[in-house]
Amino acid sequence: MRELLVVLNTRAQGFLKRAFEWKWQAVAKNLSSILVFGGFAFAVFLIARYATSYLIFQAHIGQYLFHRFLSMLLYVFFLTVNLGNMIVSFSTLYRSHEVNFLMALPISAAKIFLIKFVDNFFYSSSTLSLLGFAMLLGYGSVFDLPWYYYFFTMFFLFLPFMLIAGILAVTALMLLIKIAGRLGFRTLLFLLVIAYLSVVYFYFTMTNPVQLVHEVMKHYPDVNEYFGYLDPPFVKFLPNHWVAEFLYWSVQGDYGRAVPFFFLLFLTMMGLVVLAGLIARRFYYESWLEVADAQTKKGSEASPRFMLMKFGKPTGLAPDLEVLIKRDLWLFLREPSQWLHLTLMFLLLLMFLVSVGTLDLRLTQPFLQSVSFLIVFLFNGFLIASISLRFVFPSISLEGDPIWCVRTAPLSLKRLYWYKVLLSLIVVLCVAECISITSIYMLQKNVLLVIVAATATLLVAIALISMNIGAGGYFAMYREKNPIRVASSQGASLTFLASMIYLTVVTAVLIVPLTRYFETQIRGGNSSVDWVYVPLGTIAVLSMLMFVLSTSIGLRAIHRDL
Amino acid sequence: MIELQNVVKKFGSFTAVDNLNLKIQAGQFFGFLGPNGAGKTTTIKMMTGLFKPTSGFCFINGHNVHWDPLPAKKSFGYVPDQPYLYDKLTGREFLYFVGGLFEMPPDEVKKRIGELIDMFEIGTFIDKRAEDYSQGMRQRVVLSAALLHDPKVLIIDEPIVGLDPRSARLVKDTLKQKTREGLTVFMSTHLLEIVEELCDRIAIIKSGKIIYEEIRDTSRAHRRSNGQLEAMFLELTK
Repeated sequence: MRELLVVLNTRAQGFLKRAFEWKWQAVAKNLSSILVFGGFAFAVFLIARYATSYLIFQAHIGQYLFHRFLSMLLYVFFLTVNLGNMIVSFSTLYRSHEVNFLMALPISAAKIFLIKFVDNFFYSSSTLSLLGFAMLLGYGSVFDLPWYYYFFTMFFLFLPFMLIAGILAVTALMLLIKIAGRLGFRTLLFLLVIAYLSVVYFYFTMTNPVQLVHEVMKHYPDVNEYFGYLDPPFVKFLPNHWVAEFLYWSVQGDYGRAVPFFFLLFLTMMGLVVLAGLIARRFYYESWLEVADAQTKKGSEASPRFMLMKFGKPTGLAPDLEVLIKRDLWLFLREPSQWLHLTLMFLLLLMFLVSVGTLDLRLTQPFLQSVSFLIVFLFNGFLIASISLRFVFPSISLEGDPIWCVRTAPLSLKRLYWYKVLLSLIVVLCVAECISITSIYMLQKNVLLVIVAATATLLVAIALISMNIGAGGYFAMYREKNPIRVASSQGASLTFLASMIYLTVVTAVLIVPLTRYFETQIRGGNSSVDWVYVPLGTIAVLSMLMFVLSTSIGLRAIHRDL
Repeated sequence: MIELQNVVKKFGSFTAVDNLNLKIQAGQFFGFLGPNGAGKTTTIKMMTGLFKPTSGFCFINGHNVHWDPLPAKKSFGYVPDQPYLYDKLTGREFLYFVGGLFEMPPDEVKKRIGELIDMFEIGTFIDKRAEDYSQGMRQRVVLSAALLHDPKVLIIDEPIVGLDPRSARLVKDTLKQKTREGLTVFMSTHLLEIVEELCDRIAIIKSGKIIYEEIRDTSRAHRRSNGQLEAMFLELTK
């Protein structure tokens, strides 16, 4: 126990030193982070408060149905925490230099596992816990709950809930790595993706939100306890259900029914931590060796696929550009966390397109028509922002330690910078324009709107890509090998917030002219195309400003001392 | 030829390199000595364009590294103190990558890779990913990359650290041979026996300033040194 405390104490001291560093750059960085995360939390608080208030007091869906929706939301949250912990834990628990160091010390593998689990949990879940707390505050403020309720719910209900998701993820990973020794890592990865998708599919098939709404609204307002039978039996074993039940009974003041769910959750969490410790005692060291072995055995030979993209085969491009493209392609394809994330994103996109294709809104109000257009447009913007944050922001950091060979080669750093901007822009723009054109056409069946959306998407892509490359250069972390860590750093969060502000402004610029256009359409008036010039012109000016500002920051940053 | 004119590098209030002046003629093997933190790596990083001097100029073959970087960089090869490679690329792919950055035709790169594999005895490791390499193998690949475009100047930061005796001998012999062929070498190292064996000119740097310079006759100095350089180094840097 003592060595566990020593390691955790050293880590806490390091964190506190960083947090309370009194150099002006550090203070500015910390203050801006507080501002960013505070603003982010406040926005989530407002949204949660508005959504709760709307559903309860305006849509009158009733507390029962509301808490069932909350349970589903918590399920998605649980899976997000779980998946986040699993992805990050592979590098934290198996590929970190610190683990190599700790393994050489007289500390048991189970303790190292627990130390690294704490590390992993705080790293991969801190933003999500902030999000959860802000949602809880927004939800609670509608019911006028006392302050100690938030404190209790956050630390004794929400935290155990997240810990369950986290510990299940790392324990599962440990066992899966043991199995992977027999199945192979690629097969295991594939099975894991299938398993996650199946879990989501079966949950929503079994809980069937559409049927739930129909049934509940048929009997509204006599719903509460009576509709307990609508819960499929397996749902009662899920932690998200326990949290939702606790909240449901406690906001009604029935603590006698709420408290057992708290105990259930807390004891499950404790039990799982103990169980994970026991499994780690038996398997952590073995699975760690398994990964070390796999690293030396696998992928040691050159991959001869894609002959044209093989080094040494001329493609007709300038030699420096050619080798940069080939290097980036091979580094991307040989790093599972890169292509796996991209595949997952494409799967989600496919789901989004299928959903939009089956929507039949038949909206008659111009404002709602503009809102539906803007929601789909915003989704595209959000998609560009997310892809940029995850893949474009880390691209300069991913030059990594070997950046010495690029910086000392006769390659202009400007050229390298523009190469990164153009490559990212081409790739992201292809995806974003496909989604934008397809989704807007499926939703509105209007060519003018498709052109507006496609043009706005182009401008948004230019602005967001340049912001992410520029900020990625400014906040470059050349020593960090894990792109996920780069994409979740403080600098990345700041960039993402700036992207969100930019997208909000773009939406605000579009909403009034769009509503007027729909009004004219509904009245059957002559809808000229003149209305598009002012909003698109404004977005173009705004995007160019972002582009120029980000590029000048990025170009200056890339020339900095290494 | 390498020339440093009044080069200063400050990190905040700390002066890492203080008004350094050096002129190394073509074909010279220059040994740059100094204790830890003396400013050796900082000097090398300024010479290679990785750091910008606070003031002063660095010239390689007559080109200012910071004003006219591309011709300067075309004429030197650099071996860093840590042989970082792309873990997911093979040694051969890395060498093709470097060849492309120097705009070498693929056929010439192929030919040079073959020669360098033989020269540094890399063998079949060339087609394994760098994540599987030992420190010594990484260093051999990095040295190959530095010599790939047949530079006129070679700037090396600690070339022998981490190499086994056989690899160290290989590197020393290669450097000797290349110097005979007219290559100018600027080498920073802690290892005095290497300096005694290879360098025909040395300088000792301490707290960012050159405190000693000597032109040596390597053929005789090696035989006569008998630990004299070590004693002098310890005395000057204490």
